[in-house]
Amino acid sequence: MRSFFALLLVSGAAWADPRLVSLKTVPAEATLTGAGATQQFLAIATYTDGSERDVTVESEWKVSDPALAAIAGPARLAAIADGSLTFTAAITGKRAHSAVRIQNSHTARPFNFSRDIGAILTKRGCNGAACHGGVKGAGGLKLSANALYPKDDYEWIVKGGEYQVLTNEVKGDRIPRVNLERPEKSLLLLKPTMMTPHGGGERFEKDSEDYRTILEWVKSGAPYGIEAGANEPVLTSLEVYPPVAVMPVGGARRLLVTARFSDSHTEDFTHQVLYATNNADVATVSADGVAGAKRLGETAILIRAAGQVASAGVGVIGPPIPNYPDVPRWNLIDEPVFSKLEKFRIIPSEVSGDNEFLRRVCLDLTGTPPPPERARQFAASKDPRKREKVVDALIASPEFVDYWTFRFSDIFRVAIFANGLTPKWSQKYWEWIRWSIETNRPYDEIARERLSAQGYGPASRHFLPYNQIGPPADVMAEEVRVFFGRRLDCAQCHNHPYENWSQDQFWGMAAFFSRLFKMGTVVFDHPTNMELGSKDVNGKIELVHPRTKAAVRPALLDGSRFNPIADSNPRKELARWMTSHPYFAEAAVNRIWGQFFGRGIVDPVDDFRSTNPATHPELLAALAKDFRDSGYDLRHLMKTIAMSRTYQLTNRANATNREDLTNYSRSLPRPLDAEVLLDAVVAVTGVPETFATAVTEGSAVGQAPAGTRAINLKDPDMYFSRFLELYGRPNRGAIPERGDKPNLGQALHMLAGASYVDRLSAKDSRLARLLESGASDAKIIEEFYLAALGRVPAQEETLELQRILAKRGDREAGLREFAWALISSREFAENH
Amino acid sequence: MRSLWLVFSLAGYIFAGGIAAQTTPKARVARIEPKALSVHPFTGQRGATFVMAVRGNGLREATGVFLDDSPLKLTIEGTEAEPPSESTAKSKVPFDLVRLRVETAPDVAPGRYLFRLVTPHGVSNALPLHITEYPIASEPKGAHETPEAAVAVDKFPVVFNGGIFRRGESDYYAFHAAAGQMVTFEAISGLPSIGGPGGNARGFDPSLSVYEPSGSWFDPKRLNRIAFNDEPLWVSGRLTDAHLVHKFEKTGRYLLRVEAFSGQGGPDYSYHLKILPGIAPQDVEPAAGDWNERGFQRRLSADRLNELAARGGKPRNKKSVETYRAAAVPAAEAGAFKLPGTLEGSLGQPGEAHRARFQLDGPQDIAIEVETPATAPPLFNPVVRLLDTAGQEVATNVFVGVGDCSGEMSKSLQAKTIIPLRDAGGYTVEIRDTTSDLAEPGFRYRVQVRPQIPHVGQISIDVDHVNLVPGDAQMVRVIFDREEDYRGAIAVTAESLPPGVQASAGADFEPDKDPPRFPGKRERYTARTERTVVVFTADADAAPTAHPWIARLAVRPIVDGKPGEILETKQIPMMVVAKP
Repeated sequence: MRSFFALLLVSGAAWADPRLVSLKTVPAEATLTGAGATQQFLAIATYTDGSERDVTVESEWKVSDPALAAIAGPARLAAIADGSLTFTAAITGKRAHSAVRIQNSHTARPFNFSRDIGAILTKRGCNGAACHGGVKGAGGLKLSANALYPKDDYEWIVKGGEYQVLTNEVKGDRIPRVNLERPEKSLLLLKPTMMTPHGGGERFEKDSEDYRTILEWVKSGAPYGIEAGANEPVLTSLEVYPPVAVMPVGGARRLLVTARFSDSHTEDFTHQVLYATNNADVATVSADGVAGAKRLGETAILIRAAGQVASAGVGVIGPPIPNYPDVPRWNLIDEPVFSKLEKFRIIPSEVSGDNEFLRRVCLDLTGTPPPPERARQFAASKDPRKREKVVDALIASPEFVDYWTFRFSDIFRVAIFANGLTPKWSQKYWEWIRWSIETNRPYDEIARERLSAQGYGPASRHFLPYNQIGPPADVMAEEVRVFFGRRLDCAQCHNHPYENWSQDQFWGMAAFFSRLFKMGTVVFDHPTNMELGSKDVNGKIELVHPRTKAAVRPALLDGSRFNPIADSNPRKELARWMTSHPYFAEAAVNRIWGQFFGRGIVDPVDDFRSTNPATHPELLAALAKDFRDSGYDLRHLMKTIAMSRTYQLTNRANATNREDLTNYSRSLPRPLDAEVLLDAVVAVTGVPETFATAVTEGSAVGQAPAGTRAINLKDPDMYFSRFLELYGRPNRGAIPERGDKPNLGQALHMLAGASYVDRLSAKDSRLARLLESGASDAKIIEEFYLAALGRVPAQEETLELQRILAKRGDREAGLREFAWALISSREFAENH
Repeated sequence: MRSLWLVFSLAGYIFAGGIAAQTTPKARVARIEPKALSVHPFTGQRGATFVMAVRGNGLREATGVFLDDSPLKLTIEGTEAEPPSESTAKSKVPFDLVRLRVETAPDVAPGRYLFRLVTPHGVSNALPLHITEYPIASEPKGAHETPEAAVAVDKFPVVFNGGIFRRGESDYYAFHAAAGQMVTFEAISGLPSIGGPGGNARGFDPSLSVYEPSGSWFDPKRLNRIAFNDEPLWVSGRLTDAHLVHKFEKTGRYLLRVEAFSGQGGPDYSYHLKILPGIAPQDVEPAAGDWNERGFQRRLSADRLNELAARGGKPRNKKSVETYRAAAVPAAEAGAFKLPGTLEGSLGQPGEAHRARFQLDGPQDIAIEVETPATAPPLFNPVVRLLDTAGQEVATNVFVGVGDCSGEMSKSLQAKTIIPLRDAGGYTVEIRDTTSDLAEPGFRYRVQVRPQIPHVGQISIDVDHVNLVPGDAQMVRVIFDREEDYRGAIAVTAESLPPGVQASAGADFEPDKDPPRFPGKRERYTARTERTVVVFTADADAAPTAHPWIARLAVRPIVDGKPGEILETKQIPMMVVAKP
């Protein structure tokens, strides 16, 4: 099969000179409203090979009635008078038309600071995170990121003064950035045109359209204008065409940005937004929205308008593949994955062999490599449903419970360090997680219990780091990260510089945790009809906004406020809202997906944001829906993933997917986590690990029972392990992010550490037992291959190893060295 | 002097012939205070004779066993020095082993019996010996850390004497159970941890797990845990012994694993494992009968006023306290009760608040006491509030303070609150759980509202035994609480002292403590604690005692120049020992 692909790819004749089949214009219909309205159009050609190309620039454009509209730029129409017309593109004998209606062409839109000035500040990057939109602003001027808070921006510009992060107080003298008496001397014009020194460099030229707009505004007295809201439509979203631009290296494609307003009308914003690429090595983007493909890969173009952010995917694809194979779809996962691969001209690898699949699925579902006998049985089985059966068996296995208890203990942070001073609490919390996994509790139920836990229940233990309730801001941010996959932390001190999360939203959410208190070891929400303090001790239990110093009431992220009821637990309402919000299911499936593929559909798995879009939004939506429909059944979700063709693809690359790291066209190797790797070393060598308590002096010194696996340690802080520390076991002081970078310590440990070397010479090791049984070299080699790699050695591997062993002379030493080499190999240390 | 069994065993000297030479006064280099750390096994069946070994320091020359009023016979079979092991090699004090023969009569009541060892250096601390009605078995020698090496349990009821004698050790027990069978397992530590008598953080905290050998896809021999018990708290007053009741779904062979929390182990980690058919309650040592003024589980009896009066040196002539029921109704609809009165009820619904009203005709100092007869804090945390007719909180059993260390506001639930009520009128007592989400039938409360009665509260005497060298003195502190503005005195008398030993009143140095920065109204929630000191002095020519004497300290209130009833007595084994 692989050679077949290679043949296709080297046969240049197969894709030579594709012919243009059809042409279309985008948008097919447009309405231009108001004086000065413009509309950008695109011409998209389809070719015989099925590919699409942007031929906007190459096409010839004509207006059916030049009295109504003029061409203001390449394929850009500007309204002159009311009426209807046709805008036509033509190229190599093909024509396409767009119907255009022009209305109210002599009615100027009322001035709106946000829309007219905020848009310029956004488009020119003035309010970006690296400039005045940063936490403290820059050069004494603070603007809200993306013009999210136009009233604040207006005040800083018109009244002047210096912003302070933690207070509403203005620092220094208030010197306006506009000069109403001499408008052209306004700092707002002098700085960005570099007529006076400007740290941000030149943002626009003198006499440019933006310059003139600002100048006219100052001349008119710098009004705020009408306020978006009840009578004035508000920009609610940006839509980008195409949502994913696919093009070959060297190709270019213009993006068309349409703004949607609260009254449902739309406007062309293509020339009013700021474009930025997430990866300039893959694709660039010009100031007017033309993306250029540089090398094979995928990235996103971020588009910012005042108060809104959107993104478009860019896929830089290889040469066309004629006779693209018909890849079967096995379940809901495969369609979005394989459709995208076809679009990106990547052929997925073949389905993995039995041994490859078995080792992978065993490690992913249970953190345990398959025993040699099971690997043999699986390979020998002719049962056409054997893969599904083994997935079912693994999901029902106690090792599944062990492994996912370990995984969720990471995410939920079971730690002495983090969960109070007594390891008893950690154990209780761990047991709660284990019970939840063992009984396959719906994930939304688990989340609700954790979010709203009260009393002395096990789920409440995580609210007591250091035996104290954590600050509401920290507690909330962690819950949102765990269950929504979003990081709101930045918004704690200031409006989020990259996202549309405001400081008010942050503190509104944090307020749900503001009445969380403890009575001894008991967690509860302080009743609203009682003060925190008493007649004896002053105390108020209100959360104060760090800037406004006003008491904050609980409010959900969607802005809806919550009125706490006396003697009720406000976190119950929060938990209900969070678990029914689409974010919840998306974050959960993305997290689990990340465990099976080494990267999330949104990656990192808990960093959902508009500037970090999903690689497969349809897949994310489909999985989330299926998860919801299943009743938030984690086992169902994992089985769906494991039974997809996508998951079962081999790790062997073909010529089309060698460079692909994000589209799941093959299985990518992933390093085993420290605990899983150590357990695998133990399984292969047959010598258990000893875990002594981290406390080394006194009567608290202990040791985990013989045979305890690393994934079954209830608390990483309780038992020290040199191996686990070297291989990146986190201490769970914060939500763990496991690194996968090898280090020198690991290499030295492999060479001389007890985990590897001592085990192989142990009296009761697997090797010792095989030697004692009189097994041949070939038998021992096969047994170790199966135990370590889940496969039998290739004949040439066996022969080569036998040759080396014969040359080594000392058989036992030679076999020890062979076993060492095997468990030191990347093939062993990775899941692939 | 009460009768006591004091058994001296010359056999000990005879048995340890080599040791005898070391016991001559000349051979003694330094006096080591006798300290008994553990005993193994510590449980025997009544009617049986068995041998147990006491491990400790300064016990090599043990001459006898001291039992307080016990129907047991203990004799020393031999003593020896313990060979240094990995766990004890660093100790500066050598460890000794004393083997004891225990003879029990068939009619001995099951329970715990305290015993001490007597040496020329004095009497040791007490260790418990358990006597049970159930058959006893011993964990066989060798490791039982695998299912294959599990200790076979042929039938139960049975009590196994076992030990976790090194770190990381665990013991498996294999047994059969029938489908539907209920079995109780209990592991009691011979080295009490927090919560047990004399327990501390260094104790042996056992945990229990039940496994079925049902295997798995990976390992056909895998044991799968089906039940587990380890109490989730290390809190003073709560036992850390493990108690597990399990109903087996299938007939088959099962395994029970005993281990120490986080894998501790050592020569003192002795346990007994009780396996009983059916549901058996946890074997909890009966309360010592000490006065417990501020614990949620003390009994608030109808005779409470007389109990308190007696502790205040007054006659028992108060009326009984009536019992009423509070209900989950608004304050305006709440039923009325009269002072003194006890409100009873159970919070069956989350967020439920029970209320009852009383009328106060004039200013009165009252006390509100809370008892949780079933589920206690931290599982059921009753908040009791006293509200005036306007619904304003007048008092609560939530003590609000500010932590000395953290400066953070802290809250704690109190079982007793005293309040001076100055305004006549109607008051509402409101009872609810601290949380708004939790409720269950076990959330039962008894709230007693009564006039304050000045009295002596809890009394503690901080000594277990006294060993005096002639010419030396030892202080014993008597710590007592003044409750509800008790202004009388207390008298402490010492009786039955050995010849040559004197008791006198004393005072010791008590360093000043910084007052809490924002203490809140501590006086409402905490008693005023004071202490007095009794000094025992052995005359320079006091003759060493051959056996412990039971000295007795008695504490009673003195009010208006008259002594009241004895409130507390402490029997103190006391010896005069030869100078080293």
